[in-house]
Amino acid sequence: MKLKFNHVDFFYGDKAPNLFQALSDIDCEIKEHSFTCIVGHTGCGKSTLIQQLNGLLIPSKGSVFAGDFVVSNNRKERAKKLKPLRQKVGIVFQFSEYQLFENTVEEDVAFGPMNFGVKKEDAIKLAHENLLQVGLNESFFKKSPFDLSGGERRRVAIAGIMAMQPEVIVLDEPTVGLDPRGVKEMMALFKKLHEQGTTIIVVTHDMNLVYGYASDVIVMDHGKIVYQGAPNDLFNQSVDAYSLETPMMTKLIQKLEKKGYKFDLSKISSLDDVVDAIAKQRRDSK
Amino acid sequence: MSSITLGRYVPRDTFIHRLDPRVKILSLILLMVAIFISYSTWEMTFIIGGILALFIFLLALISNTSFKALFKSLRAMWFLIIFLLLVNVLVKPKDAQWVAFSIGSLNIYWESIFQSLKIILRLFLMVSLTMILTTSTKPLDLTYALEWYMKPLKFIKFPTHEVAMTISIALRFIPTLLNEVERIMKAQTSRGVDFKHGRISSRFKAIISLIVPLFIASFQRAEELADSMEARGYNPKAKRTTYHKLRFSVNDLFAFILCGAFMAATIVFTVMDFTIKTPLFVPWLVIGCFCVLVYLFGLGAANARRYKK
Repeated sequence: MKLKFNHVDFFYGDKAPNLFQALSDIDCEIKEHSFTCIVGHTGCGKSTLIQQLNGLLIPSKGSVFAGDFVVSNNRKERAKKLKPLRQKVGIVFQFSEYQLFENTVEEDVAFGPMNFGVKKEDAIKLAHENLLQVGLNESFFKKSPFDLSGGERRRVAIAGIMAMQPEVIVLDEPTVGLDPRGVKEMMALFKKLHEQGTTIIVVTHDMNLVYGYASDVIVMDHGKIVYQGAPNDLFNQSVDAYSLETPMMTKLIQKLEKKGYKFDLSKISSLDDVVDAIAKQRRDSK
Repeated sequence: MSSITLGRYVPRDTFIHRLDPRVKILSLILLMVAIFISYSTWEMTFIIGGILALFIFLLALISNTSFKALFKSLRAMWFLIIFLLLVNVLVKPKDAQWVAFSIGSLNIYWESIFQSLKIILRLFLMVSLTMILTTSTKPLDLTYALEWYMKPLKFIKFPTHEVAMTISIALRFIPTLLNEVERIMKAQTSRGVDFKHGRISSRFKAIISLIVPLFIASFQRAEELADSMEARGYNPKAKRTTYHKLRFSVNDLFAFILCGAFMAATIVFTVMDFTIKTPLFVPWLVIGCFCVLVYLFGLGAANARRYKK
């Protein structure tokens, strides 16, 4: 599903005296099957931007195109029902573990699909499949979600969105508060979903994740998109201009380049690639 | 939820914003008394009501209260107004004489219509006054004022500080909880929950999906707040000073005298049974003026876009 923002403005407090412009002239496209990371300082409009994707927030001006759906302030133009769009574009909110409410984990995960008309037995089946995919085995199925740890509950929440079988999964800071191992496992899961054909959009502050996983990156500042393109180009050329943290890998490569090593950046995506490149250059020099 | 404006402080620098919160609370009480005093004739009720409406309209103008927000909070009472109208109109009041019109065998009396209009006018004025107070006063200042008023109760060992602290925390958490509600609603909407439409059973389920996470998050927040207060050595029984001291000024005195005069005048009118002998068209004239005022409020709402700049 292709996602397109067409000159979108968004104001908070449209109906109240305290008006605030959160998005200003957003005009961009998110490619189908891409792994896009949205970065920027707190309050720059990242969360507002993603909520336009499934009509949770309606643009004050402009339109958002999500496949055949149009989300717009213009009632004639806007899709009559936004619920089917919400099934296709699933959003996992920040601290999603606080949205669980059912008696058992499997019922909570099945809640989403059942809202979209899936029969209870099929929804439970979907719940089991997706719980296994997020790394929660059969022993968790009948447990109360409130007996789980924070990380496990977040996995349940993510499984709840995955069970709706969306074409696009949008995650708002999914790794906040997780330990390093949890972050790694979570990102590996998103990578797997991406490889299976799902478009993944992740809002994050962690540049190492952007470097390691993203195929595209969008940088936001004061409600505007100031950069959209490949992560490598961003980190090698303009990272300082947007006051972003340079990823560890980029720092390492830059230091090694100063020592005389040369790297083809299009082929480097992990530490192993750097080690292999160094080993090859050392072999060649001998 | 972000559009809920009743009870939200809007920072501005106006005469009413600068008034002492203690005076504002006292003035509110005085004006409420003036609003709820009964008069022996309908003419007096609507004339005094009209004058009060004009005064409150001026207060809203001075305090720069958004007419749009004010109108919205009044609009939320439509259901109550229709219910009141129905109940009052369908029940025959004592000594009712003037039949306005008949629906079949049912007589609708002018007294019933006036009674409903009186209640609606009072509700309208009460909500407007409360809104002016809350939009022009910081919640914390309101609690300081309440604590000041409760000071005499300290002599009978009443925990005034604890009560004031509880109120201030409750007020502080209203916007936080509203944001929480909004966040959970969005998360559940993403999972296909429809809070506005559907059968009663599915709407009940939708409410459950909102309430359970809200309660859990609120209790967690309360526990964290209690722990953090304790960690910072909070002792409810300790004697404390305040950084922000409340001070009366000449403006406060002026506001107090003005509102007090209003209340005193209304009491005098009632006690002396002061009536204006007028023909029937006078109440209609007052109702007309009231409608013009409502229209002006609406116009103000339409012009409220200036707040966006």
